[in-house]
Amino acid sequence: MLTYIDEIRAASARLLQEGAVEMVVGFRQGSQPMMNEPCLIRRPEDVDTLVWDSHCGINLTNYLTNRKEKIAVIAKGCDARNIVTHIIENKIEREQLYILGVPCQGMVDKRQIAMRVAGEITEVGESDTEIRVQTTRGEIQTFAKAEVLQQNCTLCTHRNPVLYDALIAEAVSEQTVDRYTDVAAIEAMTIGERQQYFQDLFAPCIRCYACRNACPLCYCPTCFVDEAQPQWVGKGQDAVDVMTFHFLRAYHCAGRCTDCGACERACPVGINMRVLTKKLEKDCVNNFGWEAGLSPDVRPALDTFNLDDPDKLIK
Amino acid sequence: MLLSNLLEYMGIERNRLHMSWVSSAEATKFIDVVTEVTEAVRALGPNKYFIKDQAKVA
Amino acid sequence: MIKKIAKDEWASGLSKLAKTYRLFGPVAERGPDGARTFHNFKALAPGELPDLDLGNTRLSAKSLVFPQSEAMFTYTLDEDRDDHHILKEVPADGMSRVAFGIRPCDAKALAMVRMNFDTPEYKDPYWLRLYEATTFVGLACDAPCPTCFCTSTECGPYHEEGLDLLLCAEGEGLLAKAITEKGERLLADAGWEEAADQDLGARKAAAEGCITSRIGTDQLAEGDLLDLHGADFWEDVAFACINCGTCTYLCPTCWCFDIQDEVFKQEGQRLRQWDSCMFPIFTVHTTGHNPRDTKTQRVRQRFMHKLKYFVDKYEKGIMCVGCGRCVRHCPVNIDIRKVADLMNRYTSDAAKAEQA
Ligand code: SF4
Ligand code: SF4
Ligand code: SF4
Ligand code: SF4
Repeated sequence: MLTYIDEIRAASARLLQEGAVEMVVGFRQGSQPMMNEPCLIRRPEDVDTLVWDSHCGINLTNYLTNRKEKIAVIAKGCDARNIVTHIIENKIEREQLYILGVPCQGMVDKRQIAMRVAGEITEVGESDTEIRVQTTRGEIQTFAKAEVLQQNCTLCTHRNPVLYDALIAEAVSEQTVDRYTDVAAIEAMTIGERQQYFQDLFAPCIRCYACRNACPLCYCPTCFVDEAQPQWVGKGQDAVDVMTFHFLRAYHCAGRCTDCGACERACPVGINMRVLTKKLEKDCVNNFGWEAGLSPDVRPALDTFNLDDPDKLIK
Repeated sequence: MLLSNLLEYMGIERNRLHMSWVSSAEATKFIDVVTEVTEAVRALGPNKYFIKDQAKVA
Repeated sequence: MIKKIAKDEWASGLSKLAKTYRLFGPVAERGPDGARTFHNFKALAPGELPDLDLGNTRLSAKSLVFPQSEAMFTYTLDEDRDDHHILKEVPADGMSRVAFGIRPCDAKALAMVRMNFDTPEYKDPYWLRLYEATTFVGLACDAPCPTCFCTSTECGPYHEEGLDLLLCAEGEGLLAKAITEKGERLLADAGWEEAADQDLGARKAAAEGCITSRIGTDQLAEGDLLDLHGADFWEDVAFACINCGTCTYLCPTCWCFDIQDEVFKQEGQRLRQWDSCMFPIFTVHTTGHNPRDTKTQRVRQRFMHKLKYFVDKYEKGIMCVGCGRCVRHCPVNIDIRKVADLMNRYTSDAAKAEQA
């Protein structure tokens, strides 16, 4: 994976030079260890600012819409699925994009690493399989990448982009995992335990909406939480309002979420709100055989009706 | 169905949400549905969870 | 005068204080596995000690005097009641408070925010009554984070502005330096009276020496406001931003709020809630027009407010104390240190171009 960047730069320079695209959306080196910053490149001579490593977890699909230019985008497996969803939902046209697909080996979870070291991390390096961090105490610690991936990446079953114009490397092998052990654990709780679980889960939420805004699916011109006429939900820190926001945000992602993990990654207080979207995903898979973002040619579960759709609820 | 599953998952009892199609010609079905809903909800008792009266803030 | 607080006197002093004060301090949040994740200021439970083993709290100390949601008035719409449609101020609890573990950056920020809430013309009663009821007990930083740049913001790891008392770790115990009368009273109330034959000067210098991150701000006051506003770097700075409220909600110096009414049946409350210039609805007019409609405009607003408008208006430096929270927690790594340097350099380049 460490060699991906050479091909990313070369392809980006080529596309810009040939005038095939007007801009490239990718990542540049962040100012923080384990952070890269989404960026836009317009000139071939600037492609050297692009980087690629295990800290490119942000979903770049967010940066493609409402533009006129022809755009090349560097897309991991999950980004590509969100692009597909955008195409299905008419947020963007396939022709406007040149997708540089990146076969992905997972992005690391910087908070997990920070929790596991004493002191502050000042520098980070990586090999194909390991992450090496240096701390303010001068210690160097290494972690196997596989052990410090974002949880959604450990469960990812579509690491290879499903839609692309060029792949920048050979496809990686896909994982076979049970994606829903955490959902099943919550389902197994009693009603009272579940109520407590969700109250505790959302107690630290400050309603900064980073989870909503980091998500490519959330593009409504006015989100229901911001609507004032009518006002659907209170805007303060009342626990019921906070939970209403989370419940409805998740529901709006039903059948659309790709579990790219952008929401959880963005949250400044480390809330795993993915347990809601994953529940919806699980039900979509089990009831409609639907996984979001796999093909632009198939209509999503929530906008089709089949005679054999389960209908136990409606009496 | 996704909605009721999610509500139940978050701790709202399944029997608090009912959905039904009743045509204006189906008077008896309407009565049956209303009876069923009220009985199911009465059996659960008043809901205290996920209910806001006055905002509780600092 | 520096006082010494031994480990056991700390707990006993706190329990003495708990009789007359409400105590607040950093409390660790815990992840699902019980591990400490980060700290926030909370009211301390009886017998609970503030957790002083921390870098800094995730959210700043501003919520101690400026809660994220705060009830200002209540009213009733019930016309059978004599006081219907009359706003009644929500009374303060009237208790004195002590807030422990405030880092010097957050304390300076409180003093800075005061310029907004306590002016000769207008006084914000809600902010002021909490501010005045509170004794602010600081915690000096002997191990600043790599993202701290407080020495560039007329602050520092032992800075005393905004504090009543400053603590620093000393072996198993603590040293305490009273800064105001409030602070001295607190020491007496807690029974922490044993003098320490020490001076914090060397420790202060050592701590300041540990700060590795710096920004340049010397040119900001000189620069032309409209020039900076029209600078060519804003689009690049703002590109990655997702317009969440993280940077402003975590910031100790951001003071913007919104006022909302909530009515349940006949009973209403008027609430004040934090707001953020990064949200598109922050500036939407009732006509639907939004003068700050694009993300670039909003990002520029945040940085221009902190690093230029504030500088020009108050002539007290920048509206940033260098706590580094926005740097650490911005989900897309937009870094105020980079932007400050861009703005500062832009101004000095412009000045040079003029001379030439
Ligand atoms: S979810 Fe899959 S494709 Fe996306 S970053 Fe993780 S491993 Fe890569
Ligand atoms: S990102 Fe986190 S704190 Fe912000 S609204 Fe979402 S869950 Fe709440
Ligand atoms: S600068 Fe960062 S933290 Fe602030 S609104 Fe933009 S994305 Fe959010
Ligand atoms: S602008 Fe950033 S670094 Fe400065 S005081 Fe606010 S949160 Fe801290």
